[in-house]
Amino acid sequence: MNAPETYAATNAASTGVSIDRKRLKALARRTDRPGLVFIAKWLAALACSSFAIWLALGSWWVWPAMLAHGVILCVPAYALSHETAHGTAFKTRWLNEAVLWATSFIYIEEPLHRRYTHTNHHTFTWHAGKDSQMPFATPMDFRGWLQEVSGFGLARFHIAAMLRLAAARYTPMMREVVPESELPKLTRNARLFLALYALLAGLIVWGVGWPLWFLVLPRVLGAPAMLLFTLIQHVEMQENSPSILESTRSFGTSRTGRFLYMNMNHHIEHHLYPQVPFFALPELHEELRDQLPKPDPGFWRTNLEVLSVVLRRSLGRHTKARSIRQAPHMIGQGRFERIAERTM
Amino acid sequence: MTNWVRACATDAIDAEDLIMWEHDGRSFAIYNTDQGFFATDGLCTHQHYPLEDGIVIGTVIECPLHGGRFEVTTGEALSAPVCEDLKTYPVKIEGGSVYLAID
Repeated sequence: MNAPETYAATNAASTGVSIDRKRLKALARRTDRPGLVFIAKWLAALACSSFAIWLALGSWWVWPAMLAHGVILCVPAYALSHETAHGTAFKTRWLNEAVLWATSFIYIEEPLHRRYTHTNHHTFTWHAGKDSQMPFATPMDFRGWLQEVSGFGLARFHIAAMLRLAAARYTPMMREVVPESELPKLTRNARLFLALYALLAGLIVWGVGWPLWFLVLPRVLGAPAMLLFTLIQHVEMQENSPSILESTRSFGTSRTGRFLYMNMNHHIEHHLYPQVPFFALPELHEELRDQLPKPDPGFWRTNLEVLSVVLRRSLGRHTKARSIRQAPHMIGQGRFERIAERTM
Repeated sequence: MTNWVRACATDAIDAEDLIMWEHDGRSFAIYNTDQGFFATDGLCTHQHYPLEDGIVIGTVIECPLHGGRFEVTTGEALSAPVCEDLKTYPVKIEGGSVYLAID
């Protein structure tokens, strides 16, 4: 489970980035208010999108309404699940854990599995075979992109992981990242989650419509938006580097994007100092600005450039992107050597 | 007989904070909490990362690397990813200095 004694975890120290200690402590200070305000806004947005679905039921318009609702459901659920897995969303611990459970239920990952695999992701960020949260093989091609962005790759992994945990048939990676004494808790939790999913399925089969219209279909439709955010965190970046600046990407995005994604567009900053809560990441960014590369362009432009690169890679054409950052070995023409296999 | 060793001045540690103190090749974390001064081993039991940049919330220290939490008064591991308790050391305050009882 432990990293080798000589291994330096991937963070600010391994990257050579520094900040005044007192300033870091101030930025990492916990409070409940920003998280509660975020949840209030999120629930208000969900209420609006739910109302739109309700109005559109029975017409063709229900599909765009469910898509919008799905984006509002999935991106913040992912972001909150991530923030609470770190324990940084709230000062009050039970609140943090309750939100971790609720949002991990939507994200379809057992909460402790979420926390332990993410712990490992921070220790071995983008290290082939060691990082348990590498969702696609690198360098990425168009097939890998489709598998990732459609949500099928992640759904397959999450369902298989949930079933394996419930059956206590742990994978080598699970045994690697989770302490032996904790595995029974993961099994108990996975069984509880499966029972709740079965209950939802039972309601739908019984003829109750709301889980289908407000939860299941929006979850499927909204997953690609969530995955476009997570895709650009590390895609085209350097594998097996101790430097977060080489392995990770920050990008600019709109106010809506920053809200939905809880400021995680400052992804380099987050990996450098994971103890800093989401609401302090813009300040951390300002503090570190001189030590960091310029963030890549906006969410859409970064994603379009990634799509262009992976398409050209699959076609054997040159893969230099117009403006986004790429590891040197990602740029070339023709056949690419596979560096990392997916671990999730 | 208890081996009390002077570690630092009391005002060397901010309120709700900690410092790392090296002694005889070992790392100790010394905390100034709202319930007084406490001392534990200086490295997290999860992946042996220094607790120095961790956050002190009440009497809880949170490891800066993965957010594992310990109760500093007892050393108890409170939440994943930490499972193994931290070793604690008796502390006394005398003449404006913090002393640790080191075994």
